[in-house]
This record gives sequence, C-alpha cells and structure tokens, in this order.
Amino acid sequence: MSESKTQVSRRDFLKKLASGSAVAATAVAAPGVAISVEKPKRYGMLIDTRRCVGCEACSVACKTENDVPLGETRSWVEFIEKGNFPNVSRSFLPRLCNQCEKPQCVSVCPTGATYKRPEDGIVVVDSDICIGCKYCLQACPYGMRFINTKTGTADKCDFCLHRVANGLVPSCVNTCQGKARIFGDLNDPESEISRLLATNTTTVLRPEMGTEPMVYYIDADHTDERDAARQGLYVRIETHRRQQKRV
Amino acid sequence: MHELNWGLPVILYLFLGGMGAGAGAVSASIFLRSGGGDLAGSNFRFARWGAMLAPPLVILGTAMIVLELGSFQAGNWFRFINLFLTINLSPMSIGSWVLALFILVSLAYAYTFISKAARPGDELHNMRKMLAWAMVPLGVGVALYTGILLGAMPARPFWNSPILAMLFLVSALSTGVAAILLVRSLFGHKQKVNEQAFEQHSYLLSSSDMLLIGMEILVIFLFVMYAHLTIGSVEEAVAVIMGGELTTLFWFGFVVLGLLLPAAIELKYVMPTLLYQKAYAMPRTMEILICALVIVGGFMLRYIVVIAGQVTGPVGI
Repeated sequence: MSESKTQVSRRDFLKKLASGSAVAATAVAAPGVAISVEKPKRYGMLIDTRRCVGCEACSVACKTENDVPLGETRSWVEFIEKGNFPNVSRSFLPRLCNQCEKPQCVSVCPTGATYKRPEDGIVVVDSDICIGCKYCLQACPYGMRFINTKTGTADKCDFCLHRVANGLVPSCVNTCQGKARIFGDLNDPESEISRLLATNTTTVLRPEMGTEPMVYYIDADHTDERDAARQGLYVRIETHRRQQKRV
Repeated sequence: MHELNWGLPVILYLFLGGMGAGAGAVSASIFLRSGGGDLAGSNFRFARWGAMLAPPLVILGTAMIVLELGSFQAGNWFRFINLFLTINLSPMSIGSWVLALFILVSLAYAYTFISKAARPGDELHNMRKMLAWAMVPLGVGVALYTGILLGAMPARPFWNSPILAMLFLVSALSTGVAAILLVRSLFGHKQKVNEQAFEQHSYLLSSSDMLLIGMEILVIFLFVMYAHLTIGSVEEAVAVIMGGELTTLFWFGFVVLGLLLPAAIELKYVMPTLLYQKAYAMPRTMEILICALVIVGGFMLRYIVVIAGQVTGPVGI
C-alpha cells in the first residue's frame, strides 16, 4: 500500500485528542508507528485446493445469492484429471474474479462503470452506468465477465459486496463444505488469510499477465493441454463455466 | 473455442468506419492540394466524391456498433449516451469522442459540397477549407483508433501488437481510396468535364492505392513475422492463421485476393505511366474490379482479425 492512501481513522483521532496532545505529538514524531494509522481494507481470498472436493456448493450458492441468469456463472470449479494408469490424479480448481490490483477490465472501461473500490479493493460494475460494450469481456485474461441477459450489462463476481458490506463473508466462502475458501483483509496482518499467506506456498493464476490477482491458491494444479502434450500425459480439464472449456 | 462476444456488427463497424475515415481524409487532402483548396477543377470535383462518401459510411458503421451493445439489446436504447458523459484513458472513450467529432465535421464538410453549384469562392468556401484541415487529422485519428481499440489488451495476444493500429490505418486509407475510385468509376463518367484530367486523377489514385497496398503488405509481413518469432501466447495466437482454422481465409481470402491480385493489376497499368510516361489507360471494368477486390480485402482483414483475436487467448493457467 502506498503511504498516500493511508489515513487516520476518526476513532483513533478522537482517542488521541482525549489522551492529550503529548501522545499525539509522539505519534507525529514517529510516523512509522502503526497504531495511529489504519490502512484501507484489501479483501482477498485464499483457496486451499487440498481441501476442495469439487462438490460445486460454491457455484450453486453463488448463483442463488446473486441471482445469476441461467446459462451464466460468476464462479465455478474446474476438474483436472491427468496421468496414465496407474499414476493418475484428479484435482479441483475453483475459479472466481481475481479482483486484480491492476484490473485490465477497469482500464478499458469507457464509461467508468467498472472500478476498483479504493476502500476495500473490490472491483465492481455499476449496472446503472454500464452500456454493455463488452470491452471488459475481451480485456479480462481470466474470462470472468459476461453480459447479464436481464440487465444487458457486464456482470461478474464482486466478493458478494452486499454481504461483505454487512460484515458477512461471501456466499461461496460461507457454504464451502471443506473450508477450502478463506476470505479476509490482506492488509490486516492478524487476519486468518494473512497468516496463511505468510506460512504457505501460494500461487496466483496467469501471473505473467501482470494483473496482480487478489485470489491466491495453495497447491493449485496449473496443468493445461500443452503440458499434457509435452509430458505425454492424458489430461482432461472439465469446467462448469458457461462455456464448457477453460479460457 | 472462446466466446465471440464481438460479432458481425463490430467487424462491419471497424470496416465501414475505417473506410469512411480513409475516404474523408483522402478527400480533404486532395482538396487542399489544389492551392489550399482555392483552385477550381478536377481536384475539387474529386474531393466532392470523398466528402459525400465519408459521413454515410462512418454513420452506418457507428449505428452497427450501437446494435451490438448489451444495453441496447436489453432495451436501454439510449444508454450509449453514457459514453459522452465522461472521458477517460480507455481507447474506447477517446475513440468515441474522436468518432463523434469526425461525424459532425464530416457532415458539415459534406454539406459544403452538397450543392451542384459548389465551387471554390462560393459563400461556403472558407468553411469548407477550415473543415478540410480538420478532416485530415480526424480521419487518420478514427482509422488509427479502430486498431488501438483492439490492440489495448494483453489478454488478447493476437491483437496486442503495436503494429495492428498501423495495419488498420493503412488498410483504411487504401479502402477509402478504393471507395472513392469505385463510385467515381460507376457514377462519375457522365459528369466528366475534361477527359485528360479524369484519367490523370484515375492514375493518381490507382498509383497511390498501389503504394498503400505495398505498405500494407509490408505491415502484414512484419505483423506475422514478429508474432511467429516469439514464443508463448503470441505464437500460439498467430498459429490460427499459420496453419490454424483461419489460414485459408487469411492467406487466400485476404493476402492473395485483397492485396496481391489488385496490386499486380494496378502494377500492370500504372508502371508504363510511372516509368515511361506513357498515357494512362485502365479499362473501366478493370478499375471497378480492383476497387471491389481492395474493399472486400479490407472487410476480410477486419473479419479475420476480430475473429482470430477472440478464438485465441493466454496460454497456461
């Protein structure tokens, strides 16, 4: 986080006022002291694929919670089967919007309808402004966006903003049977997600695109058909995305 | 197969918008070449054709893209106005403003030519000259923007090339010239004033079209070569025209029919005049054929590029 985005919360400010100017002077004299400075939230998700069983409860919960039109998906799970008998494996890769730090969808939006919220880093679409030009659908390297047939505007996962704003976790996290999805504030070092990120090897999807995703994975299988061809392995990737192929 | 979110309306928009912008820029520059627009004669008559062509082509193309908008399809017919309530660094935002400006200026420019009695020195002449100066940069801007629009996204490796906008610009100018030549060939012979000047302009146009096609072949060569020399997503993406599903359409439909064939025919008729100063005489049917080939080639280019960009993507996960 850049220094310019930090801010003193009103509560801390009032506390300082109450405890006298000497304390305030100390805080000013030591700007690195974290107690008086609160970073804005940076919501992220960590998906522990070792705990995922591919039950699709998250996909279903997401569709129900967000009233996603039939035939479209905001979140889905990819099944990756690989290997030649008897050396085989099957793993699961839950997918959702990465809420990128450098969202390509935002930089191409001509109306400003899609933007990254400065207060929590969630990338949202304002369906009252979006004209449905589909530029963001082209720009997303993860194929996360679609046109909502009801509104005619771009749509995607927004970490269930309506729930998160009320102190709840996203619906997919809430429903996950294996507790594979961990949601939290990346800027809070005490949050569960921050502790797990610090103590595990994690990856993001397509890091070479430079989008700096906020969705991290533990033990994700990054296998694709090209690996299969090179290694002489049988690989089958099945997705439950709206189009039955990984993009 | 990835989703084709941008279909025929967008392809037609890129094609018609480019052709109209090219025709407008060419018309204005030819107009200005006759003593800053002050000399009556064949340049003026010629510029008139381009001035009349530019607005309908661009407006038709723009109407197409509105049809493709999700909001329009969902019944919010005028939601596209939101484009003009803001401006940001998105290529589509800047492009929309440039496009809107071009439509207004080209309509005004066409209006100054609309009277049969239009000639240098009439009451609209000063306005016509001012508009012509604006038409050249705006036309080039619209033509360039159609390529920048596609080139802006790392997620679309086929499009994400700095030379794509150049390719679209050269193609826009070339199809613009061809469009003017075509309508002039079809409808202009009746109002011929001076046989020699008419042929002189046909020569000028055909030779510049030939030059533009030559440039286009070079740009295509660079585009394909650099893409093929890289590895990873870009190489995989360009494979779609290097043996993939769009190979025949690209190499035969666009490169051979849209570039090499018209260039070869033009070469045959232009070279004797260019090298040996012989009288230029291209049969009218041949002229019409060349123009048709160039215009179809321009459409093919937009079609192949728009489809190829969407059926390819980043490799790996």
